[in-house]
Amino acid sequence: MKKIIIITLLGLLSSMTAFALDGNEILKQVDRNLNPESFEMYRKLINIEPDGTKKEFVMFSLKKGKEKIASVFLLPASEKGRSTLRIGENMWLYIPNVGKPLRITSLQSVTGGVFNNSDIMRVDYNSEYNCEKIETIDKGYILYLRAKLKSVAYETLTMFIDSEKLLPYKIEAYAASGMLIKNLYFKNIKDFGNGVIRPEIIETDSPLYKGYKSYIVFANVKKRELASEIFSLNYMHKIDGLR
Amino acid sequence: MKQVFFILAILVMVLFFNDGAFSQTTDDILLDLDFNVEEVAKKPYSINANIETKETIRFLDRDALLFKQKYLDKKSEDVAWQTDLDLTIEAQYQKDSFKLYGRFNGLFYYNDDENFESQRKAEEAYVSFQPSFSWAFDVGKKVHKWGKGYAFSPSAFFSRPKDLDDPDATLEGYYSLSADYIKSMEGALQTIAITPVLMPVTRDLNHDLGPKDELIWGGKFYFFAFDTDIDFMFLISDNMDDRFGIDFSKNLSPSFEIHGDAALVKDYHQYIIDEYGNTSEQEYTAFNFLLGLRYLSSRDTTYIFEYYRNGQGYSAREYDNYLSLIERGFDQYLNTSSQTLISQSKTMSVYYNQQAAMRDYLYLKVSQKDPFDLLYFVPAITLIYNMTDQSASITPQITYSPLTNLTLDLKTGLLLGESRTEYGEKINKAKIVLSIQYYF
Repeated sequence: MKKIIIITLLGLLSSMTAFALDGNEILKQVDRNLNPESFEMYRKLINIEPDGTKKEFVMFSLKKGKEKIASVFLLPASEKGRSTLRIGENMWLYIPNVGKPLRITSLQSVTGGVFNNSDIMRVDYNSEYNCEKIETIDKGYILYLRAKLKSVAYETLTMFIDSEKLLPYKIEAYAASGMLIKNLYFKNIKDFGNGVIRPEIIETDSPLYKGYKSYIVFANVKKRELASEIFSLNYMHKIDGLR
Repeated sequence: MKQVFFILAILVMVLFFNDGAFSQTTDDILLDLDFNVEEVAKKPYSINANIETKETIRFLDRDALLFKQKYLDKKSEDVAWQTDLDLTIEAQYQKDSFKLYGRFNGLFYYNDDENFESQRKAEEAYVSFQPSFSWAFDVGKKVHKWGKGYAFSPSAFFSRPKDLDDPDATLEGYYSLSADYIKSMEGALQTIAITPVLMPVTRDLNHDLGPKDELIWGGKFYFFAFDTDIDFMFLISDNMDDRFGIDFSKNLSPSFEIHGDAALVKDYHQYIIDEYGNTSEQEYTAFNFLLGLRYLSSRDTTYIFEYYRNGQGYSAREYDNYLSLIERGFDQYLNTSSQTLISQSKTMSVYYNQQAAMRDYLYLKVSQKDPFDLLYFVPAITLIYNMTDQSASITPQITYSPLTNLTLDLKTGLLLGESRTEYGEKINKAKIVLSIQYYF
């Protein structure tokens, strides 16, 4: 009887591990489908207030490997030249007026509004999260992700994945307390060329900002080999020159 | 007259606003998610500008010793007004590895003392040559902002001091030749950067750095290792005394950052005046340092705190002697009309009246992002506390950006302190500053 219980338990454990591995593999594939490992892109961030007033930001970003991303704001004029850098869990903001990089955190927001730095300086999901559980649904999978880094803005994510395209169509982001912080909806799958096919728009709403909506619109997402020196504090004020 | 100027200044601002800023209201609610990158296509040149109009109301402290030093008994008003119209233009041209960059500022202002005045300056104007991702060379007028301190910067050897009232404000650079070498690698040590700087001092270049013609030289070594930023810096100069510094910055947790900044100033010459107007000079190696932290709470409140030890500052007794001299000078003027002692005090005001002139300071800034669900609205309060004489400056502030490219800022400064203290004897006891800034 004892043997049967032990064998059953081991069987259960091994099947859970197999699921976790599958989930993480799917997550890695989702990351690669969302963008190449090293690439450049333009993004427009749109914040819409309940009265319809909107603010737009345009930024140019470069990403290398799993954990390095640098961006510079191109619009509006008040933000032009501001740049951000992320290396793993470290994030910096360079403001031309201030003239030197300052350390910032994932929860802060360089744009104000619903987007925080983690949304803007997104690195690969699989470098930040572990898949704890996977569920199969009609449309695909639901991945239950838990943060493996302390610097993340959201403790857990519930990622809804289209199994055909292996791309997310919705992500729910939760705080450590279990409170829902944000919903992200991935829309308009577009062929950006050179094998990059991904959602063009991410729509965001948050119960913390009732009535507010935010959008990220992607353009010119393309592979690019990049020197590591670009991802350093001394280079932050020169990122615009790489366009 | 001043009201007319302020109204004119606002009108000029309004003329600069483009239609887009005001048109983004409820009428524009139809969402256009088209993103044509051509609108931000890279051009070899770019020009940006911002215009600011500012009204400053100073409530004068007629009993304060620095008021008496400046005005004697010749100013009867309790309130002073100043209206500023400030235009900054930033231009750049890039061709291959070369870049020309300039930031120019023009200020037109009106106040009771000077009537209408204007100032123009090139804050930065330099040529940059970047032959590779690792190398860059800059020559011209450039700001080299070193150090990790937010309010204080003991190791910012090659830049002008920050304005404690507005540490984020742009600074004017110095003429220099500098290089930048960056090397990235895998492992615990991820980045090394070396920044050598040469700064000439002549009658025409950087003459405010000292009377002797010389070539000041120095450099900074940056390391990013174990998720920590570390800099070592030095400056060798006869005019400015040799300096050696170190700084660091690290996140202990995602919302908690610590930083530090320290500098040795070798053979520092401190100029002292006693209560009778006798001047003397002492030479010693000064040690300046700061320790600071930045904390972001779960409610989006940011705390910036710094302790600053100014080894080049005056002791309580030395500062008190200076204030005694002004007091004696004012009495001398009232009794004999002689301005001998007051004039003697004024010759030393460049040292004693500078910000953070004493030795131990605390700085605390608390700001709250988007309270009451009001987006782009940031109230803040700043405290600067002189630990030696227990005087302080408290500055509540509201910043609001209701429209794209438009920022409104209302700042109130209160100076608190007993008589014969640094902040208790400043010219103003309070001030209100309202500014409107537009970028285009």
